[in-house]
Amino acid sequence: MHEVSIALNLIEIVSEQCRKSGFSRIDSVNVRIGRASGIMPDALNFAFDAIKDDSMAKGASLQIEVVPVTGRCGECSNTFSVEEDYILSCPACGGSSFSIISGRELDIINMEVS
Amino acid sequence: MKVRVVTKILEANDRIALENRKIFNRHGVYVINLMSAPGAGKTTLLEKTLEQQTGLRIGVIEGDIAGTDDAERLETFGIPVVQINTGGACHLDANMIYEVLGDLPLQDMDILFIENVGNLVCPAEFKVGEDIKVMLLSITEGHDKPLKYPLMFQESSALVLNKIDLAPYTDVDLGKIRRDALSLNPGLKIFEVSCKTGQGLGEWVGWLKETGLPGISG
Ligand SMILES: Nc1nc2c(ncn2[C@@H]2O[C@H](COP(=O)(O)OP(=O)(O)OP(=O)(O)O)[C@@H](O)[C@H]2O)c(=O)[nH]1
Ligand SMILES: [Mg+2]
Ligand SMILES: [Zn+2]
Ligand SMILES: [Zn+2]
Repeated sequence: MHEVSIALNLIEIVSEQCRKSGFSRIDSVNVRIGRASGIMPDALNFAFDAIKDDSMAKGASLQIEVVPVTGRCGECSNTFSVEEDYILSCPACGGSSFSIISGRELDIINMEVS
Repeated sequence: MKVRVVTKILEANDRIALENRKIFNRHGVYVINLMSAPGAGKTTLLEKTLEQQTGLRIGVIEGDIAGTDDAERLETFGIPVVQINTGGACHLDANMIYEVLGDLPLQDMDILFIENVGNLVCPAEFKVGEDIKVMLLSITEGHDKPLKYPLMFQESSALVLNKIDLAPYTDVDLGKIRRDALSLNPGLKIFEVSCKTGQGLGEWVGWLKETGLPGISG
């Protein structure tokens, strides 16, 4: 729903980094988006393309790596991943005390500048 | 040339949220980010809470896409209220809150409610500097909501199941809502409330006093 805000934040951060590194153009950006982050990769791509024209990222492509939801069971210590964007119980023992290891990411990893 | 960035996309927002949090702490005000789908009853719950003799000094920040209706409803209680219009944005962010802090007498408040924009998805993503998040679900929204919108249930400390008076007119399975919500978030505190009949409001207000004002007991 708020992919536009996310894209604005993203462009702000990479533009600042690009300037700091002494470059003026961003060619590509790599991000990592968790399946449970509430962000749809397609919508983020669309938003990024829609607003990038007024920025240093004008010609940039956005590569999105989707991170699956994984958890660790507090009862049997099993580590597992799920297809859904949530965890209800440990698939091995059925236990319901678990910690989420990944799936919430909204991270910028790196970019190509020139 | 390749440049490593390794930054959270919401870092800028989180940084401002932390600033807000410090300001709230300094003034000893406990902040509750109140979230739900449009029309679940956030403003009504605040009205009903203000009608009780809680002894709590309450202030409210109203977040809406447009309009001042909700703020006007609460102003009649003579409490500090600030309206934020997000101009289309589907959530409040930390900076919007930061900008109105000067308009509130924080030192004279025990609890500040931030009524977020009606939306079940993104308010959970954007920290605004709150101590806790409280979520409302009106039971007419259906028992599939915890699994459809897991993030909000996971992030919240308490869930108010509102409009419980309407249960006889629906086939909603309250047990399923509880089970799924507790699976997603075992520590979740759940209240069944009707803002129309007053059912459950006592328990809600008691919890509010314990949580928001550890000195006074419910
Ligand atoms: N039957 C019944 N109606 C309720 C209850 N609580 C709220 N309502 C009604 O639900 C409608 C919406 O309530 P609001 O309090 O405005 O909802 P809101 O969540 O603040 O809405 P937005 O700010 O627009 O997202 C109003 O017509 C209320 O009278 C309840 O417990 N039972
Ligand atoms: Mg409202
Ligand atoms: Zn949003
Ligand atoms: Zn297990």
